[in-house]
Amino acid sequence: MAPKKKEEPKPAAAPPKPPEPERPKTPEFDPTTITLEFTPEQIEDFKDAFQLFDRTPANEMKITYAQCGDLIRALGQNPTQAEIMHVLGKPKAEDMQTKMLDFDQFLPIHQHICKAKDCGTFEDFVEGLRVFDKEGNGTVMGAELRHVLATLGEKLREDEVEQLMQNQEDANGCINYEAFVKHIMAS
Amino acid sequence: MGCGVTKSNQFNKHSRKAIRAAVLIQRWYRQYVARTEMRRRYTWHIFQSIEYSGEQAQIKLYNFLGYLMDNFTPSSNERNLISHIFRENEVCQDAEWERYFCYKNIEVPEIYSGPHLTFPLTVEQAVGLVEAFRNKKQLHSRYVLQLLLETWRQLRMLPNISRISTCQSKEITICGDLHGQLEDLLLIFYKNGMPSLEKPYVFNGDFVDRGKDSIEILIILFSFLLVYPSEVHLNRGNHEDHIVNLRYGFTKEVLTKYKMHGKRILKLLQKIFSWLPLATVIDQKVLVLHGGISDITDLSILARLDRHNYVSALRPPKKRHQSSAGASIDSDFDEDVLSTNKLLQRRISLTYPKPLGTRESFQNRSLQDFSNRIKGKAVDEIEIHKRKLAILNMGTNSSEGMTQSVSSESINSDNAKDEWKQILDLLWSDPMIQDGCTPNEVRGGGCYWGPDVTEDFLNRHNLQLIIRSHECKQDGYEFCHNRKVLTLFSASNYYDVGSNRGAYVKLGPDLVPYLVQYQASSMTRELTVKQSVGRTERSALKVLREQLFAHKSDLICAFKKFDSENTGLVSLNNWASAVESVMYLGVPWRMLRGQLVTSKSTDGMIDYLEWFNELAIKGPNTDHIDQSLLETLYRHRSTVETIFRIVDTDNSGFITIEDFRQTWKLLSVYLKMEITDEAISDLAVTIDSNQDGSIDIDEFMEAFRLTDKKSRLERGRSMFMGTVNDLTKLEGDPNI
Repeated sequence: MAPKKKEEPKPAAAPPKPPEPERPKTPEFDPTTITLEFTPEQIEDFKDAFQLFDRTPANEMKITYAQCGDLIRALGQNPTQAEIMHVLGKPKAEDMQTKMLDFDQFLPIHQHICKAKDCGTFEDFVEGLRVFDKEGNGTVMGAELRHVLATLGEKLREDEVEQLMQNQEDANGCINYEAFVKHIMAS
Repeated sequence: MGCGVTKSNQFNKHSRKAIRAAVLIQRWYRQYVARTEMRRRYTWHIFQSIEYSGEQAQIKLYNFLGYLMDNFTPSSNERNLISHIFRENEVCQDAEWERYFCYKNIEVPEIYSGPHLTFPLTVEQAVGLVEAFRNKKQLHSRYVLQLLLETWRQLRMLPNISRISTCQSKEITICGDLHGQLEDLLLIFYKNGMPSLEKPYVFNGDFVDRGKDSIEILIILFSFLLVYPSEVHLNRGNHEDHIVNLRYGFTKEVLTKYKMHGKRILKLLQKIFSWLPLATVIDQKVLVLHGGISDITDLSILARLDRHNYVSALRPPKKRHQSSAGASIDSDFDEDVLSTNKLLQRRISLTYPKPLGTRESFQNRSLQDFSNRIKGKAVDEIEIHKRKLAILNMGTNSSEGMTQSVSSESINSDNAKDEWKQILDLLWSDPMIQDGCTPNEVRGGGCYWGPDVTEDFLNRHNLQLIIRSHECKQDGYEFCHNRKVLTLFSASNYYDVGSNRGAYVKLGPDLVPYLVQYQASSMTRELTVKQSVGRTERSALKVLREQLFAHKSDLICAFKKFDSENTGLVSLNNWASAVESVMYLGVPWRMLRGQLVTSKSTDGMIDYLEWFNELAIKGPNTDHIDQSLLETLYRHRSTVETIFRIVDTDNSGFITIEDFRQTWKLLSVYLKMEITDEAISDLAVTIDSNQDGSIDIDEFMEAFRLTDKKSRLERGRSMFMGTVNDLTKLEGDPNI
């Protein structure tokens, strides 16, 4: 029992996550193997967004590694932190603020993330949250959800959890999770 | 880890599911945060672009008026309309002024429920004023004038640069821009305590304009200045300037609140502003000033100049040498308008330097362009006048026209120019990330200065930190230049509710800045981040839509260039290029396309004519007015209003029909548009419904939907809507 207990959670916590079907266990991400399938229009869109994140003095069209994930998400994709780290070549923590990416380096990274199958449908969400629905009545305890989000998976910080859950709980501290999921997905 | 407490397989399967669910939610959350951040950034970008563009437009307007002043004969109508704003350093005895500002005849009626002041002012009265304003009372004009007179007397005793010390254990509190936002000042006093012997304060300029309680803020600051002259220090900001006030709301606020005596109050404030100290130095190590520095900033020059000569930083004190002016006109007698440019450049180049192409998003025009613009009839007029003037000047000591502000002091004109630049740089400059020092073309005055300039400056003056304001920052403050420059901004929710926090800084004897942030308005506390970003974004987009609509003709022209077959459609790419080529705001148009163009179109093409129907701003019954005139009016509404207020010499809020006509002639030259007399009559008729021969400026602006009472943004901030591009795009080639 005890060994089993330890095994189950572990694979979920380690970087390439088994729940993600598309995640091959390749050790390195090789940008040269990616063929870009974006249309010129899309590339123009990405450029606009890229420029908005570019904070270099002379507008050199470069962003830091740390911004890469935000940019990809801002463009509508939904990667996990792990996936981001993977495409960046598993950089060290101190590299995140210092190493830079230019637009041409960014494109294959973005392409790869775009290709990954999106496994976050409304139903997936609701089903996932149903796990915490002790009474089967469509609500979860806000406190429990906060705890889960801050301690499981790709943990959120306290302030992030706070921001996410702001104004979601009713007077009893319960959250109607279907409404909650709609709220998150409707940004 | 929370899972793995029980031993059942069932639970383990659940916990895996739980983790999966958690990961899902977390990644969605991160996406939501990234997108919100993106929206926040471009919203900020929009507001800031439009704000700075408006400031640049203001300076250009002023330069243009100066140009007219220099080139029209004294008797011309146009000149008379505007000459009074340049009537700065009138040679007048202080005693005369005291009589003019005398408050003694002003009676305070019994029903007045506001505070009564007696002088010398006590701290109880100062505190009482704060309370009164918190309760929305207004101070009676008699007391306002009295207070301002005392303040004027006090300020005249102060040096240009205040030197103060943290001595022993006093902490000095420094506040940045307040811009008429009383709520923020009250919040600062609430959190930090009011000024006192133990609690010295430095207020770093821009107390007025944009917000709606500028005069109340001044009254409070001046009261505490009088009660604690050694503990309260005020630095001048670029908005402590009557010319800027015409455009950005302070003039209007005072005239609205003080209908009878507003004009005198404004005149007295003009003097007070010119007497505000320029900078403060703490413990000989920390320099506090409003805008910033440049590569030539020299504290010793700043310390010894006569600061009160610079009533408006936008225009140098008039100490021209008649002969040199006359001579240059003489020698260029036969040349065309280019010659005037040389003269102008010598004098006015500081407020509008040559384009150096540092920021491509802002096309720059130098003053030379005005002469090119004034082609056709107007140019001939100018030529004629110029020649008349030259003849007049030859050999004679022409006292007309050049008169009003000729100082009796004989100051070397070069010296004056140096001093002027020192002040302009101090009030208008912004820091930049690159090394070097370049003219600040975005604002139209002052410089951008780099970390190397900071380093050099601090070393030369043996200082360790510069604290400045002038720029809105999202967190209320921002360090740059290796933490040697601190920008401090104290007006929270500046662009709109939720847009930014305000901050103040405390300095103790260790001179380590301790920052305190806040955000006024109870509304923001209840809004979620998402909601407040959403609100600000909606405001920004509304502003942007209005700007786009105001440029309809130019945009259609630009679209047609991409649409040679006249299909009425353009591709998204072309749409974005065309829009940027007309608007010059450097805003990410593609990203905003979804929000700006709501009509669906087939295969990525945009129906631009349909788009304008969407954007259309419905006005009152103005069918009898020419559409393109309306559009021009709308686009230049800030300029229109500013010029009206300038023409309204007695600050009554009304101008005569005749002046109204003359103003339109002026505007037609400036905006390079034909306005027939008939069109002017149509405009006048719409407003002067009682036919009594005068036009109410506010009514005029409202009638043509040139102000929109509903939006909070516009109510306090209508003034910054006009952009510089509206004025400069009238030329062809930017690279003159």
